[in-house]
Amino acid sequence: MRPARGDLPTGEDRGERDDAALLRAVARGDADALAVLYDRHAGWLHARLTRRCADPETVREVLQDTFVTVWRSARSHRGGEAGGWLWVIAARRLVDAQRARARADRPLREEPAPDPAPSAEERVLAGLEYGEVGAALDRISPELREVLRATVIDGLTTREAARLLGIPEGTVKTRALRARRELRAALAQLASDTHPLGGMA
Amino acid sequence: MSAWHVSGPMAERYASGSAAEPEAWSLEKHIESCGPCAVRVSTAVQRSPAGLVIAEIRATVLAGRTPAAAPVRWTARMMWAAGPAVRGAWLLSLAAVIGGALFLAYGVGFEGARPLLLALSPAVPLAGVALSYGRYSDPMHEITAATPYGGLRLLLIRTAAVLAVSVPLLAVASALLPDPAGPPGAAAWLLPGLALTLAALALGSYTGCRIAATVLACAWVMAVLAPLAGPPALAAEAARLVSGPDAQAGWAAAAVVCAGLLAVRRSSFDHLESV
Repeated sequence: MRPARGDLPTGEDRGERDDAALLRAVARGDADALAVLYDRHAGWLHARLTRRCADPETVREVLQDTFVTVWRSARSHRGGEAGGWLWVIAARRLVDAQRARARADRPLREEPAPDPAPSAEERVLAGLEYGEVGAALDRISPELREVLRATVIDGLTTREAARLLGIPEGTVKTRALRARRELRAALAQLASDTHPLGGMA
Repeated sequence: MSAWHVSGPMAERYASGSAAEPEAWSLEKHIESCGPCAVRVSTAVQRSPAGLVIAEIRATVLAGRTPAAAPVRWTARMMWAAGPAVRGAWLLSLAAVIGGALFLAYGVGFEGARPLLLALSPAVPLAGVALSYGRYSDPMHEITAATPYGGLRLLLIRTAAVLAVSVPLLAVASALLPDPAGPPGAAAWLLPGLALTLAALALGSYTGCRIAATVLACAWVMAVLAPLAGPPALAAEAARLVSGPDAQAGWAAAAVVCAGLLAVRRSSFDHLESV
């Protein structure tokens, strides 16, 4: 199922340079490399940002800022996956862009910070493509899901997630805790639905 | 890498925004580390209505890259921070003073060239200080004054730039000149120069650098040239002002007092309209 690199729609004049080589070229000031990098990654970055920000203007600004940043600081890329690196930049830019708005209508109420709970992220991620976890994710409320997405999938800190979502940090922690609890419950529920007689995980 | 990859229909669903959260999360995590799938998803998004916007941003990004292309070198940044201190009229006047002294000494055999240069030397950095900060001399003064680096900090950076340029040049020039023997020594003007510079900064905290430097330079020249009566008298006058432990100690004390006053008045540069 894994496609060979040669089959990719990378265009005729782009050769076989991988992302790391492109970033090195961008660091040397190669504008063509930036163009190729943009064509490879701008699409999914745009879609991913759009899923997190309803305002198209903000998405546009963030995407533009992201590649301007890439152009300026490609030399700070220290190996590793280019996609992940790009997303870190884009996510930080999105958080920055949301900060003012989030501060403007930030609720004053501050929920008490909960005790640290055992992490369920790894288990969730490991089983993400399997049906059960997907179904469990569908069962939890959208507020909890967006907190889980910001902290687990997007790799943001509690503070960044709070800025992105426009809620207090305490609320992020509370919701992350509750999301894990509800996921666990939903998984247990699903397990007992699927195997009525079997023990739950 | 896992054997899981983004299928065509899944990329289409994600591009159109209709993918459910679990599927979207899997895809997002996956394409962070899988280049081929990232390209597949990007291609799908570029074919969607969002493709127009993405093409526009592409043009903007590629058009706007030029200004940032050349990384600003450290020296260039330093020169920028030094601002008007290291360019323009002041450098020319410094060159003129040194060139004039050398010409007088070697060209026409004027014996008083060295005392003359030594007498003028303490005032030369003052001109640089006067020209290095303030709205009269810096076209970007309003902008720089509003930055966190504005005020006294920037003024000190520029003063340092002035001294870094003028002190070595003057020292080399006075060492090159023929020494008719006797005081003042070639380095005797350094402490008076420092004291006058600090005095200009301290006085500048009240009146602005331009006025302060002008007043002090005039006062210095008057003090040296007052009993004007030819080179021997000038040499004697300069010697009286800068030579000997007592005079040097006095200048050092003055420099310390002015530095202290400047430290006390450091915030005034942030507010002074006339600076």
